[in-house]
Amino acid sequence: MKLKYLILSFFILSCGNKKEERTKITIWHQMRVDERVILQSQIEKFMLTHPKIKVEQVYKETEEMRSGFIIAAVAGQGAEIVYGPNDNIGVFSSVDIILPLDTLFDKKFISQFNPKALTYYKNHLFQIADKLGNHLALVYNKKLLKTPPKTTDELIEIGKKLTKDFNNDGKIDQYALVWNYTEPFFFILFYTGFGGWVMDDEFNPTLNNYSMVRALEFMRNLRDSAKIIPRESDYQIADALFKDEKSAMIINGDWSWSSYVKAGIDIGVAPLPIVNETGLNCAPMISPKGYSVNKNISNEKLIIVKELLEFLLNEENQLEATKLVSTIPTQKSLYSNPYFTNNEIMVNSQKQIDLGRSMPIVPEMRAIWDAMRPHYQAVLNGAKSPKQSANDMQIDSKIKIKEMLE
Amino acid sequence: MNKTFLKNIWITILILPSLVILIAVVVYPFGYNFILSLSNISLTHIRDWKIIGFDQYIKVFTTVTQPNIYVIFFKTILWTITNLFFHVVIGVSLALVLNQKDIFGKAIFRTILILPWAVPQLIVALTWRGMFNYEYGVINAMLTQVMGLPPVEWLKGESTAFLSAIITNVWLGFPFMMIIALGALQSIPRDMYEAADIDGANWYHRFRYITVPLLKPVMIPAITLGTIWTFNNLNIVWLISNGGEPQDSTHILVSFVYKAAFNFYRYGYAAALSVIIFLILLLFSLSFMKKTRTAENVY
Amino acid sequence: MKNKFIKYLRLTFSYLFLILFCAISIYPVLQVVNISLRPANRLLTTSLEIFPQNATFENYIKLFTEQPFLIWIGNSSFISLVVTLTGVVLASTAGYAFSRYEFIGKKISLLSLLVTQMFPPTMLLLPMYIMLVKLGLLNSYMGIMILYTATALPFCIWQMKGYYDTVPFSLEEAAMIDGCNYFQSFYKIILPIASPALVITALFSFMSSWTEYIVAAQVLQNTELWTLPLGLKSFESNFGTEWGLYGAASVIIMVPVIILFLVLSKWLISGLTLGSVKG
Repeated sequence: MKLKYLILSFFILSCGNKKEERTKITIWHQMRVDERVILQSQIEKFMLTHPKIKVEQVYKETEEMRSGFIIAAVAGQGAEIVYGPNDNIGVFSSVDIILPLDTLFDKKFISQFNPKALTYYKNHLFQIADKLGNHLALVYNKKLLKTPPKTTDELIEIGKKLTKDFNNDGKIDQYALVWNYTEPFFFILFYTGFGGWVMDDEFNPTLNNYSMVRALEFMRNLRDSAKIIPRESDYQIADALFKDEKSAMIINGDWSWSSYVKAGIDIGVAPLPIVNETGLNCAPMISPKGYSVNKNISNEKLIIVKELLEFLLNEENQLEATKLVSTIPTQKSLYSNPYFTNNEIMVNSQKQIDLGRSMPIVPEMRAIWDAMRPHYQAVLNGAKSPKQSANDMQIDSKIKIKEMLE
Repeated sequence: MNKTFLKNIWITILILPSLVILIAVVVYPFGYNFILSLSNISLTHIRDWKIIGFDQYIKVFTTVTQPNIYVIFFKTILWTITNLFFHVVIGVSLALVLNQKDIFGKAIFRTILILPWAVPQLIVALTWRGMFNYEYGVINAMLTQVMGLPPVEWLKGESTAFLSAIITNVWLGFPFMMIIALGALQSIPRDMYEAADIDGANWYHRFRYITVPLLKPVMIPAITLGTIWTFNNLNIVWLISNGGEPQDSTHILVSFVYKAAFNFYRYGYAAALSVIIFLILLLFSLSFMKKTRTAENVY
Repeated sequence: MKNKFIKYLRLTFSYLFLILFCAISIYPVLQVVNISLRPANRLLTTSLEIFPQNATFENYIKLFTEQPFLIWIGNSSFISLVVTLTGVVLASTAGYAFSRYEFIGKKISLLSLLVTQMFPPTMLLLPMYIMLVKLGLLNSYMGIMILYTATALPFCIWQMKGYYDTVPFSLEEAAMIDGCNYFQSFYKIILPIASPALVITALFSFMSSWTEYIVAAQVLQNTELWTLPLGLKSFESNFGTEWGLYGAASVIIMVPVIILFLVLSKWLISGLTLGSVKG
């Protein structure tokens, strides 16, 4: 009996909600732990000068944030500010849940930023980024490799010398190169190196071409003929091998470089090699990560949000983030900052970005990734020929796009 | 008269709170989903969706998907049966062994054996995936060094990747069945065994005629619900196969729901498929319950 | 002599079987401990050693100093305990009714309990969110406790019913002849005998709230209300998961479950036999 009363009182207690007097602004983001810490300290600085405002930052995992924001915003709710990679913008603006930012900020403000940081969709600005990157580059362990290869031929040549079996037990103890090569995102760089791109100006997929076939063959050769990469390598294994110093090079994105430094590896970063056959640079995809505003926002909150965004996007805060997590900022003025020009990793990162291509933000991109994956992996598994795979990828992505847009 | 009335009140008190909560929490989402499944809601029609009849259902049955949805359906059944079988067999065996009077250190054994249930799934699933790695995983290390067998490319073959997911899920699931079986074994009076011994029964007779019938009422709910949960358990398959590798072959039926809803925003299609999955499970439960006559009393 | 030999055979086989499965159970968990002790955020490593060479407790320290881990523990504990108590109370009573009485709608009710589990959870997210908003239950303990209880009840009710089914009604009859009413015969006689099933109900209710993620992610939007699974998820990010923190948190998350199990297993193996039926 007493127990029942106890439970009842718990329920009653939990019904009460605290009344907040300050205006609350919520930011949903998918930042990593180290980036969050920086955001939190910057928010706290903002709150000191704006005592009537409470800003809360909430982490949401990328996929969840996207679907969660769609669900919430369509229902008229959701955070006031959402921060994430710009490929969400295509979907968000299709569903009409984010505010065009060119109506909020003036031209002068917008011109401060690197054009690659501004995401437009159907002629309106929907996201301003504070970090540019998400790009892959060639990371190498200086202890094992002094000069990184500049071309793919060099890669294979140096690679063969670096892939060693120290104790002759048939198992390779050191690889030249490891990376998450089974994931299409990590393969695109070679596709671009051979001259291909994922879609045309009308967002139709362009996967069935000679560049794709060559790129697929190249991937297979790296593993089967040149044998400089392991047979099975997903993201975690590649990471582990490189951190265990069992690989001279790794292709990984800017989010991971500081963890290698922390693991004690003396790393260098270099732009991805040039493909000898075409003379083109391997171009990884770049995505900015930035802020967008919920369309459901009230006018009074909008004013606060504008101030908050101006603060978070300013030079000082961007520089702080750059110093702590090595991301490329988006304020043009910072590119001549000595911190930048003196830091080897940053300089190379910048070089790589200049050689990269922006990832398309349209929803069709998802369909293309999803279509590419199984056929790409089929080539790696020997189940399909490159020609067949390129053909199937193209057909499959067209079908998936059609289904999605029905 | 009075007694029956009191009895009915008593029953109502016992059941009503549970039923109310369940109906409130379940009926609305179900209904909503059913309506969604009859609509054309998708990326292009997210605000202006309308009812279009059973089109989505037709799409589920007729679109040629990559991989083939019927093959995946079959795989899902295989997945469910294999998992449940090993969960129950291992769980019940461990419970029987632990239940013996003369075993020492029962508490320690029990506690260690419950660890797979207690550990957070994501990190342990990824650990298992690492254990299946061809070159560096401990499973191949044991195969080659301890048993002299050739290493297996667990995560690269279609059937072996599936097997890896099954092994991981069996590992995660047997403690649950073990605990239930342990509890169930307590309900069997010792003097029944003693009486059987006097009558000259051996361990097989004891097992078949006393243990199993009295385990049944307690294990059946666990098995039924275990089947339903396993059928819809996307987590492990997804994590072990890194999203379906190789080549999008390692999937179960709910993967399609997830992909349609979260990757392609085809909510109408996903809702229809969910309703179909629901009907499949409903059919299974009805026939299973009928066969084992669980809704009735035992003694 | 033959009996002794069989006995030793049986015992040896039993111990070997138990040890084998203990080894299988514990190895992956040790790996998780391993991850928590590694510096520099390593999920996998190519070495097969059990404890890393440069093991450090810094992840555990960071967990308590840099992350609001204590808040998550507090929230999870509160929610899980309430759900466990509610679950035990509601399931023990409802299960009893289903076991002992015949009434209109019994079969349907039982079936509908099962039915609630059959729907793929992915699709329930959207209507659940809308319902939570409409009822004002978003961001509330009440909302999540109701949902968790609703999730755990079906199994628990079925479980209790199944267990009650193995207890002969003659026990209650005997009690009532001795002067107990319905409630007393339930409370004083049957419930203690059903303690193993109560333990299972308690454990299951606890686990389903302690480790649940999807519903929590929908209901608890404010970070002050986060439970452990939400906190754990926040260590993840597409390619930059903080495995050290994740591992440390995972190890700590396991501890209350193990303690609860240790405490409750006394009643799981109660040995309260039904010798009372004889004669």
